[in-house]
Amino acid sequence: MNPTMTDLSNLPPPAALDALQARFALKLTAMLSEQANELAPDLSERLRFARESALERARAARRAEAVSLVGLSARGAAVLGRIGGSWWLRAASIAPMLVLVAGLFLIQRWQENVQISVAAEVDAALLADDLPPTAYRDVGFAEFLKTSGE
Amino acid sequence: MATDKELSDFLKSVDKRAFKRALYAVRDQDAALDIVQDTMIRLSQKYADRPAAELPLLFQRILSNATMDWFRRQKVRNAVVKNFSDFESAGSDGDFDILETLEALGGSLATESASESVSRAQILLAIEAEVERLPGRQREAFLLRYWEELDVAETAAAMGCSEGSVKTHCSRAVHALSAALKTRGISL
Repeated sequence: MNPTMTDLSNLPPPAALDALQARFALKLTAMLSEQANELAPDLSERLRFARESALERARAARRAEAVSLVGLSARGAAVLGRIGGSWWLRAASIAPMLVLVAGLFLIQRWQENVQISVAAEVDAALLADDLPPTAYRDVGFAEFLKTSGE
Repeated sequence: MATDKELSDFLKSVDKRAFKRALYAVRDQDAALDIVQDTMIRLSQKYADRPAAELPLLFQRILSNATMDWFRRQKVRNAVVKNFSDFESAGSDGDFDILETLEALGGSLATESASESVSRAQILLAIEAEVERLPGRQREAFLLRYWEELDVAETAAAMGCSEGSVKTHCSRAVHALSAALKTRGISL
């Protein structure tokens, strides 16, 4: 029995058995690796081709992912820009209309006020005059005013 | 995220063993190559953004699934010649001495002559044949645990079973291989 076996004998039976199994298995798999490394050249070449195909797919997947991310962000920016532009454009296009309507409204109000004030001055002048307003309905007085004017 | 070089190095380090694993299962070189290529492509397309440390376990899991997919396709085509569902060991472990086999294997690593080289090549083929003959789950557990050097938990994750099952499969596989080598009278 070699020294390793002696060491294993110090372990409890289940642990020693596990260690023995592991050593046996690792020796076997080492031999399997030796066999695997001696693959026929055509098989190695086909495996190399498979590797390169897979790597190319990985690169393509990364590129597609990058493009989709850029596209997404660009699309987002474009949408954001369109929405923002629309708001500003709408505000910019509506503002003159609002100013125009407000201006027309103010002009109308100002003209009404002017008309009212003119009418009030006329009314006030008539009421404040010595001659009563009913005198202007008198035919004789109207004839007097016409002839005196001439 | 694994870099291109990390992915390339990983695939290079694992491709031959993966091919052998697939070959032991399907016993067809072309199919095994297809399975390995499919596995590499699946890994590269779907998991290339994962850290390099996660690649081995992912690869083994994908390889197992790809192998199972191959068997399912074969079953659909009524071309299955092997009952893959027979995961249990067919026979008893038999009478063997693991220590005796281990010592014989240890002795084989000494300096060898030409005739010994031929003998060693035959032994390697015999070992491959015995590994190939193992029940599917035992072989998978054995190769993942000891060839791919995954720990028990990782092997269980890759196989989709419990850690106890992994230990059982590994133990049975080792005993079966040891008994088979002894039965073949392999004196290394």
